[in-house]
Amino acid sequence: MGFVDKLREAFGRPPAKEVAKKRLQLILRYDRAGLPPNAVEAVKEAILKALEDFPFIDTKGVNIHIPEGDSEQGKIEIEVPVKNK
Amino acid sequence: MADKVICVTSGKGGVGKSTVTANVATALAMKGYKVVAIDADIGLRNLDLVLGLENRIVYDIVHVIEGVVPPEKALVRDKRTKNLYLLPAAQTKDKSAVKPEDLVNIVEDLRDKFDFIFIDSPAGIEEGFKTAVTPADTIIVVANPEMASIRDADRVVGLCDVMQKPEPKLVINRIDPKKVARGDMLDVDDVLQVLSLDLLGVVPEDKNMVSYINRGEPAVLFEDSIAGRELRNIADRLLGKEIPIPKLTYSEGFLEKLKRLFGSE
Repeated sequence: MGFVDKLREAFGRPPAKEVAKKRLQLILRYDRAGLPPNAVEAVKEAILKALEDFPFIDTKGVNIHIPEGDSEQGKIEIEVPVKNK
Repeated sequence: MADKVICVTSGKGGVGKSTVTANVATALAMKGYKVVAIDADIGLRNLDLVLGLENRIVYDIVHVIEGVVPPEKALVRDKRTKNLYLLPAAQTKDKSAVKPEDLVNIVEDLRDKFDFIFIDSPAGIEEGFKTAVTPADTIIVVANPEMASIRDADRVVGLCDVMQKPEPKLVINRIDPKKVARGDMLDVDDVLQVLSLDLLGVVPEDKNMVSYINRGEPAVLFEDSIAGRELRNIADRLLGKEIPIPKLTYSEGFLEKLKRLFGSE
């Protein structure tokens, strides 16, 4: 690591262990659900396409994720908000 | 005793399964318990080296399965502790030479003669791993505080669940307090947040470990080994003693911080 990298690390960049923890938590959520890593992105893309035809749906607010917690395993959660009048 | 047949596994290779097995088994033998350690890594035997027993092997586990000798005849006795025995893996066969029922039979044969039976699992999550886990009533997962090791450990935990085994207990091996203090390495709490398992022990990085293994002398035999001390604690916890996990301590001084910023480290 060069001096500039070290400085950057000393000021502001999150420590490597925090990055590792976040990455692991995400990977394990996919691993445990038995899903490929692009699962959420692929499903989101397909759903957004399908929702294009409905003007009352707020497509910007569509939220797709794998929920956390053991009891939630085996699910992908999809939230589809309706536009405010 | 519920914790009688103990399988040590990890998913990822090279994280310290054989080292943990050899040391915890030795520590229990030093306390007077009669212990046998079975090397279930067929074709890649290693436990004999960590224990320094490699040149005393005559028979191995495959000879036992083929009926050449009874299990007791294949055991190699450790001269230092007297109470520790090794059932070596075969070096020339492959993993298919030992089926789950073979290992179950061997364990049943040895059960009444020993206080503890350790099974050193091969790396991976295939047949060899499943064979090693099958006879166990307690499973220890060894993980390093590193991404690949933790991910693999989580897979092992999932497979143990599928096999309807009790949830593994976690040993975090080779944690380096200096790297943790710098924020470079995952801390014990970070690992527990990700894996959420019962913590059986935290073994710190020990620069002398290489030479212990090179000499075939387990670290627990040495009072001043920092890894050995925690490996002895793991043995005590298996005996049901309440020994708190020691806090890792390292605080970087101001000069060291500067050195790190400007130096080559």
